Amino acid sequence: MQLATFDTKSVVASASTQWRDGRLELDLNALRKMILEKYPTVESIGIDIVRPGDAVRVVNVLDAVEPVVKADDPSTTFPGALGQLTIAGRGQTNRLGGVALLSTADLKRHTASKDFPDSLVDMGGPGAVYSYWSRTTNVVLNFVCDSTVDLVEVDRSIRRATLDAAKHLASATLEAVPDNLANLSLDCPISSSLPSVCVILQVASEGPGDDTYLYGAPVEGMLPILLDPCEVLDGALISAAYDSAAVQNPTYFYQRNQLIRDLLAANANRLRFAGVVLTLAYLNSSFEKRRVAMLAAKLASQLGADGAVLTTFSSGNSHTDTMLTCQACERLGVRTTVVLAETNSGLTDHVAQADCVVSVGNDDELVDQWHPDRILGGDRLRDGRPASDPGYLLPVRAYLGATSQMGDMSIQGVAE
Amino acid sequence: MRVVHYLNQFFSGFGGEKSASMNPVRIEGPVGPGRGLQLDIVATLACGDDFFAQHEEEAIGRLLAMLEAERPDVLVCGPSFDSGRYGYACGSLAREAARRGIPCVTAMHPDSPGVEASDRSAYIIPTSTSVAGMQAVLPRIANLARRLGSGESLGPPEQEGYLRRGARRNRVADKTGATRAVDLLLQKLTGQVETEIVARSDHVPPPRPVSDLSKATLALVTEAGCVPRGNPDRLPSRRSSFWLRYSLAGVESLSRDGYETVHGGFDTRAANEDLNRLVPLDVVRQLETEGRIGRLHEVLYTTSGVDTPVARAVKFGQEIAGELKEAGIDAVLLTGT
Repeated sequence: MQLATFDTKSVVASASTQWRDGRLELDLNALRKMILEKYPTVESIGIDIVRPGDAVRVVNVLDAVEPVVKADDPSTTFPGALGQLTIAGRGQTNRLGGVALLSTADLKRHTASKDFPDSLVDMGGPGAVYSYWSRTTNVVLNFVCDSTVDLVEVDRSIRRATLDAAKHLASATLEAVPDNLANLSLDCPISSSLPSVCVILQVASEGPGDDTYLYGAPVEGMLPILLDPCEVLDGALISAAYDSAAVQNPTYFYQRNQLIRDLLAANANRLRFAGVVLTLAYLNSSFEKRRVAMLAAKLASQLGADGAVLTTFSSGNSHTDTMLTCQACERLGVRTTVVLAETNSGLTDHVAQADCVVSVGNDDELVDQWHPDRILGGDRLRDGRPASDPGYLLPVRAYLGATSQMGDMSIQGVAE
Repeated sequence: MRVVHYLNQFFSGFGGEKSASMNPVRIEGPVGPGRGLQLDIVATLACGDDFFAQHEEEAIGRLLAMLEAERPDVLVCGPSFDSGRYGYACGSLAREAARRGIPCVTAMHPDSPGVEASDRSAYIIPTSTSVAGMQAVLPRIANLARRLGSGESLGPPEQEGYLRRGARRNRVADKTGATRAVDLLLQKLTGQVETEIVARSDHVPPPRPVSDLSKATLALVTEAGCVPRGNPDRLPSRRSSFWLRYSLAGVESLSRDGYETVHGGFDTRAANEDLNRLVPLDVVRQLETEGRIGRLHEVLYTTSGVDTPVARAVKFGQEIAGELKEAGIDAVLLTGT
């Protein structure tokens, strides 16, 4: 896969859309028109551009997506989820470096049976350190959909419209020259003395609002499968999970996955990157949990992995899946490092074999008060309080991706 | 809000050193410094400092039994200022209460042995060495106790004025979690094992199987958020701070019209079509009629188990298990989601 990066230092509203010299000029009306025409469920859409340091809080954030387009055939961008079905991670992908799309909506209008906790991005103030996208220029999309349409259809429309917008933005680079062209591949001669390492990437599928899409379909019922690392980076995995903001894996974190990029960079010099095992959490019974843990560990072992980094999806229930997978790997001789978020009362589950755990932070810690000048994505928190009220402390768990257990952030829990 | 206050023999009015061997006692309502707290103190527990020091295990056991019988929302111990034995008793009782999910506020000099005894599980307000600081510290204790007792999370220690506890603080590391994970794994593969979280495993050994189900009393317990339709007791959909019990007397099945789930952790549409699939009352009634189980306990225990802090979940479990044990239940069908 060739990853062409177009470093984008500014995004500005303009009469036409073009990318030139690190500057994306964006025709907001054309983008709005495209979405409203193609996605009739969307009644109206607000589009705002926010920049690092702005005194802006974005609430009701569903997902963050990096603008990308498949340069050879744009119709295959986000295969299955948006574009034509093809294998991701091959050919050239153009990305707008330093830019993200944030989709926002009040999904509670469309369901009585599902809860959506706060999900924030702060562009400045004390919450910025917990907001990955406080360092990118963001195009914030605020979707208002027909209130008579149910969650399933609204979720589908917003997800596809957001991916379409990501493709639309990046398409401005199709005639431009990239700042950087990286060749990402596992195919290179490797010394057999290097340790072999794989990733066991955990996802979950709990129905509408709590889902993960692989090539356009929910991963529900999936057995552990092998992915090329480049497939993950190139849009094969899409987030549709809007529960427990901090411990979600937003789509942006699959596209820019730090763990996979680190392992690709280390491949053939510090280690041999054996691949990515995609596995499922939130399984319903002890039997199913042990069965899938065993099969994920078996795949890692079949890959010849000496070690595996185990990522975790969300919290509670899935921590048991992580622990059982850790145990199954270690019993097969595949050594493990486990990535976990913690809480004030520690971990939900633990096995003796989990002797090497990376902490991505404590979800329960409270973030200092802040009074933003502007709120996007709505004006209230889930409990009805004004989102700009500085009179209370918000927990880290309200910030999207703050303690994502794929390790994309630098937050770490330490004893004091 | 139900508050229990712990004092030693002196502050509870039983006298000085000559009463220090006094056994644990329960006194109705507030006593001594407890009056100055202006909280709803339902009971004051008192124990002699010598008795506590010389019979620690017995003292803690008896005090905990009295404490748990009060079903408190919060425990206040002291203040003990620089008194070593009194502080130790306050810190030890606070630790044991916290292990049972009862939040605790105490106040003592930072050098008191009670700070270490508390195992960092209590909110400890630092005091001067002398009792002269009493009037200043009481409102601060009351403020934290009132908020903890109502289920509120407190801000960081520097802001709220308590000593740092065991909760782990966030910081920004030099490297991302992913980079640290790869580094730690490669290091582990060379034989050097390091971890950022040292965790304890808390696995409960299963009890012996029920020998004869046809003579057993079975109880239904769930975290699936099942409540009477309309949720009359306002069970929260997530991070619940309490559990509820509902009578099943005369109830044969959890009908759609009579019950619903308010759980916030899954799409409840299918469950709300037939609540018996969350709590299998219909099947259990059938088995009861057929004589395959002895008897159904006529009480349903329920809460919403999602995002619940582990310590609080442990408390729920202990409370419900305590009631079931008292009711002579032989077996429990515990349904989760």
